[in-house]
Amino acid sequence: MRKLDEQREILYVIRTLDVLMSSGVGLEAAIHTIGSGGYGIISEDFSGIMSRLRKGSSRGLGSELKSMMNKADSEGYRRLLNTMYTNVTQNTDIIETIRKQGTRMENERSESVNKYIEALGSVPETLLSIGMIGPIILAIAGLIPQLMSGDLGAFMKLPPASTINFVVNAGLVLTLFGMFMIGLKAHTKDPGL
Amino acid sequence: MIERKRRRSIENTLPSLLESLSDSVGAGRGIQEAMMEQSRTLPGVLGQLLKETLEESHSSSFDAALAAFAAKTRSSQVQRVMVLIETAIEQDAPLQGILSDLAMDYERLNDLMNKREEELLGKGILIVLFISIGLPVLIAFIVGLFTPASKGFQIDSFNVTFSLFFGAASAIAIGVSGRMLGRFKDALWWMPGWIALSMGLYLGAVIMIGG
Repeated sequence: MRKLDEQREILYVIRTLDVLMSSGVGLEAAIHTIGSGGYGIISEDFSGIMSRLRKGSSRGLGSELKSMMNKADSEGYRRLLNTMYTNVTQNTDIIETIRKQGTRMENERSESVNKYIEALGSVPETLLSIGMIGPIILAIAGLIPQLMSGDLGAFMKLPPASTINFVVNAGLVLTLFGMFMIGLKAHTKDPGL
Repeated sequence: MIERKRRRSIENTLPSLLESLSDSVGAGRGIQEAMMEQSRTLPGVLGQLLKETLEESHSSSFDAALAAFAAKTRSSQVQRVMVLIETAIEQDAPLQGILSDLAMDYERLNDLMNKREEELLGKGILIVLFISIGLPVLIAFIVGLFTPASKGFQIDSFNVTFSLFFGAASAIAIGVSGRMLGRFKDALWWMPGWIALSMGLYLGAVIMIGG
């Protein structure tokens, strides 16, 4: 979930940092502005950094950014934090780097949406195959004790009804689990628009 | 659905508003004046809301008007843009460039969102229709035809098991379909209805066919 939230917010954060810093706002003040809310999980992170800095319970902005890099799940967020860290320690041109990162991330986002659409192309077919064929077979299996109860029962020996019921129920649960696992792809591969 | 349609129409018009604002600001107009002008020419819900807000805002500050406009649209995209414009005004940043960049950013974002919707909507609907409607009716047909209750077949527990299965399968189908389109939370509202429909269809069809 954290990765998705980061991916969803990172481009907005980059644009805001760009606007703020190109109009002369310092990095710390920009972090404070973003930390005051509106950018989901990244606002929470930045707000945490500022509160620790205010309390004096941290070893400075550099070390806070570095420890946040370990916490970051998405590549884009980690890259942004690294850029900020380099700016704090080496006084680099953060605005130019952030702009380049923004452009790069936008291209990556477009690519990941295309990949997502491609990856989900096979989901309906797989989901419908498992979700429809499984229950049809299990329904027929569940009806066999009823269908073979008369004269037909003499032709072949069936397992007890409780065994058949158990197999049908377990099969249905497995089908649901299979459907869920196939559907999970739609969540895990989400490009975070 | 109506709310979503309204919000998406606002969001799809946002890039053209930002582009026009950027042009007007570049031509030497103030942002407030440019917005006034755009509110008169911009078509659709966004233009109407902008016009209403600016008309009502004579007694308040421009910042308050922007905040009210963002709140009225109920769109996170518009809210983010308005916050950025406010920040840019506060910091005396070059508005023309910012507005132009924002216009391009949001145009690309909306294009991606529309593409995702177009490409995956059919697939999402297919999953829901087959799992929630097609499957219960098909199995009800098999059950009703081969083991009709009117001929004394004992299928009560079988029906209970399968109707519960169809409810759960429907929930998964709606969830997957919603997630594919990026609107899982919206899909949650529809879930109970589809679960009930799927279970009802199965039980109803079994009774209809099998008696």
